[in-house]
Amino acid sequence: MKKLIIGNQAVAYGALSAGVDVAAGYPGTPSSEALTELLHFSQNNDPSPYVEWSVNEKVAFEIATGAAWTGKRAIATMKMSGANVAADSILSVAYSGTKGGLVLYIADDPGVEAGMPEQDTRLFAQWAGLPVLEPADPARLYELTRYAFELSEKSELPVIVRSVTSVAHAKQEVEGEYTYTPLGRKAEFEKNIFRYTKAGAAICIAQHEALLDRLNVVEQTVREAGVNRIETSGEGIRLSVVAAGALIPYVREALSSGDHQNLSTLFLESVYPLDRVLAGEMFQSADRVLVLEELEPFVEMQLRSEASRLGWGGTILGKLDGLLPRVGKYSQEVIRRGLKTLVGSQEGHAAATHPAETSDRYSFEGEKPADQPPPEQPATMPKAAAELNVKHPITFCAGCPHRGTFMAINRALKKIGLNQDNTVVTGDIGCTILGMNPPFHTCWTEVSMGSSIGLAQGFYWAGTENPVIATIGDSTFFHAGIPPLVNALQHGTDLLVVILDNGWTSMTGFQVNPGTSEQFQAKGARRVEIEGIVRGMGVENLQVIGPFDQDRSVESIVQALQQEGVKVIISQAECALTAARRQERTLIYRIDSEKCTFCRSCLRETGCPALYVTADGKKSKHGQVMAIDPELCTGCGLCYTCCKFDAIHEKKIGE
Amino acid sequence: MFQSIFMTGLGGQGIITLANLISGHAFENGLKASLFNAKGMAQRGGRVTSEIRLTDDPKLDFGARISVGKADILIGMEIGETINSLSFLKDGGAAILLNHGFVPTPMILKKEPYPSFEQLTELYSTKTNILFTVKEPKNPYNMFLLGVFTAVAPAIDGELSFYSKQSVEEGITKKLKRGLEENLQTFNGGYVYGQSLLRPV
Repeated sequence: MKKLIIGNQAVAYGALSAGVDVAAGYPGTPSSEALTELLHFSQNNDPSPYVEWSVNEKVAFEIATGAAWTGKRAIATMKMSGANVAADSILSVAYSGTKGGLVLYIADDPGVEAGMPEQDTRLFAQWAGLPVLEPADPARLYELTRYAFELSEKSELPVIVRSVTSVAHAKQEVEGEYTYTPLGRKAEFEKNIFRYTKAGAAICIAQHEALLDRLNVVEQTVREAGVNRIETSGEGIRLSVVAAGALIPYVREALSSGDHQNLSTLFLESVYPLDRVLAGEMFQSADRVLVLEELEPFVEMQLRSEASRLGWGGTILGKLDGLLPRVGKYSQEVIRRGLKTLVGSQEGHAAATHPAETSDRYSFEGEKPADQPPPEQPATMPKAAAELNVKHPITFCAGCPHRGTFMAINRALKKIGLNQDNTVVTGDIGCTILGMNPPFHTCWTEVSMGSSIGLAQGFYWAGTENPVIATIGDSTFFHAGIPPLVNALQHGTDLLVVILDNGWTSMTGFQVNPGTSEQFQAKGARRVEIEGIVRGMGVENLQVIGPFDQDRSVESIVQALQQEGVKVIISQAECALTAARRQERTLIYRIDSEKCTFCRSCLRETGCPALYVTADGKKSKHGQVMAIDPELCTGCGLCYTCCKFDAIHEKKIGE
Repeated sequence: MFQSIFMTGLGGQGIITLANLISGHAFENGLKASLFNAKGMAQRGGRVTSEIRLTDDPKLDFGARISVGKADILIGMEIGETINSLSFLKDGGAAILLNHGFVPTPMILKKEPYPSFEQLTELYSTKTNILFTVKEPKNPYNMFLLGVFTAVAPAIDGELSFYSKQSVEEGITKKLKRGLEENLQTFNGGYVYGQSLLRPV
């Protein structure tokens, strides 16, 4: 049957059709919907696989590995940054291999539509020695995820299925089974320390050799399955285009609309290890080869190496000769430029500095982060549009509890004669980092999950004059914030850690985390409270605050900043969006246009998207006053705490 | 027929719902359709874009993303973001522009002028003369724009006639449960408005 689904959902259904037994992941754009779909399926179907959001990617991969080592089929899902967290285990498991099919789904983000580095997972896979499938579109993502389990079992290696945002989030028709039939295998884990431990050189070296042998099996298995293919449109063609993964449909599009009929093509959806036989065939029939792939010259380097081994004397066009960019998502324009150069025009080479569709050439110097151009905006913006260009900085939603926490931090700093420009406040991954944006400008850093607490200790030991504050969300704290907090305690660091606990992993789409309220935990799962963990570590200076109670919040932060040692403040209130989905509002706020002087203090401090300017005031110049959108207001009351003119009032809903 | 429709706006405007309805309708009419939503920052008031590509040729291969200068139709839901998306529209392509601007906090505080609808229209008229300017939209904007789109699509390309008032209404009824009556009413308002844009001046 055919369904219109996005690439990530195709991963889920591909895994289900392969009879996956266990699935685990950690949310991260652009990968999240794969596990979301599996979880949704498991909650609504019987039989179904075991599915969970794990505390982090390393744990997710280990759970999948454990299951696969018993002979069952398992998948772990994550974004590219998550692979770094799981790296320690991935590289070790690669040596041991697997028994049941073990698939690692990783989504990369060329062009940075979601954030974090343009990390190319294919290099990661080569480093680990794991095969990589790189499907061209959602339909292939379905087929190749399903196939990856088979390949994994045949080669006894974990298989990486790598996609990119353009495929993971593309919604297209996918032919599939959309059902689940368990394979019914019995879990049997063989006791074999030579395979499943790393105890000693003899064991590790034997495992390393086994890994390389298994990669040869992959190369042959993939060739026999016809995952990669050469297509030739005529006789005697000496020009060849190699396209990998997500670029395949764009190359087809360019070829079907362009003048470049006389080319042979090599479409690769299995990019590591390189199919040397197929590459040899291509080299034999071509004098010039163009390699099209986003990010790193991964296929290109393998092809250049193979060409050199074969003594092939032709020309390879790609990134290493400076023709094509290593940065950003490829547009049709980049692909066309490559094709043009391939067929002989020198025009392409002259245009080698033309960028990919990305913000790579923007200068950030002297600009506040929120003033950066949107990354979707290509560098080719027409001048007239650039002159009018406006930026919409992202901010906390109306009613977001994090707004209250950052307001309280800023107010507390002011109260003790400091401010957010002379006091280092480290930020972390997730919604909480919006504290760096206007109007707060509170956070100074964002590095990786949990890094706020580690970095802050570095700033402290370096001798930073003013107190150091680390801010971190609940899910990020569970993920990687616990070890650095233990470290701060052990070493007697003076540090205030503010944990912004909204009960959900919100930034990536409201996934459940260990701290989510009991009622939303899966059957048989329970809530793990942050407060208990922090107390258990031995933090004596711990306060739990509600961020909408500004007076108390500010007081708590002021107090903590004046004390020595590790202080933890848990700022607790549910994510406004998840709360709004269940609860009817009882009150909102409104602005009295008779009293508003248009001083804009409310906007300056809260930056709340429910606030807007209107022109029906009497007291201010030009009649302009602030107003509150009654549809957006959640009644949090933070703007009320800013008004010195008694212009903001409660309004009961229904009055 | 091969059409690329690029849509842009801000989180909260319902652009994804609009894109789902437009692409879903094509899919249900037996076309090969593809939809890509760039929505990472949608819920926090950030830029959202949707890219729809559709064809009646099942053999035609194409990627989900629309390159610069390749959009046949551009639908802009917010003035600033529509300005930022000018480069995606092909020369002589059709643009449906909505008169709605969301002034960001820093601009209100600095009292900087926000681009006007006239400036937006003028900018787009340098690229095409097929402009549908929605000066007086009604909320919810996405439903109003769906009405406008349904009215003007067949005029942009005769092959888009499967976007008929009745069939799109059926699609809305099937897919939107909450606030259906209000949505249908706004859709109809948009349709009438769209028709008025087609009348020769």
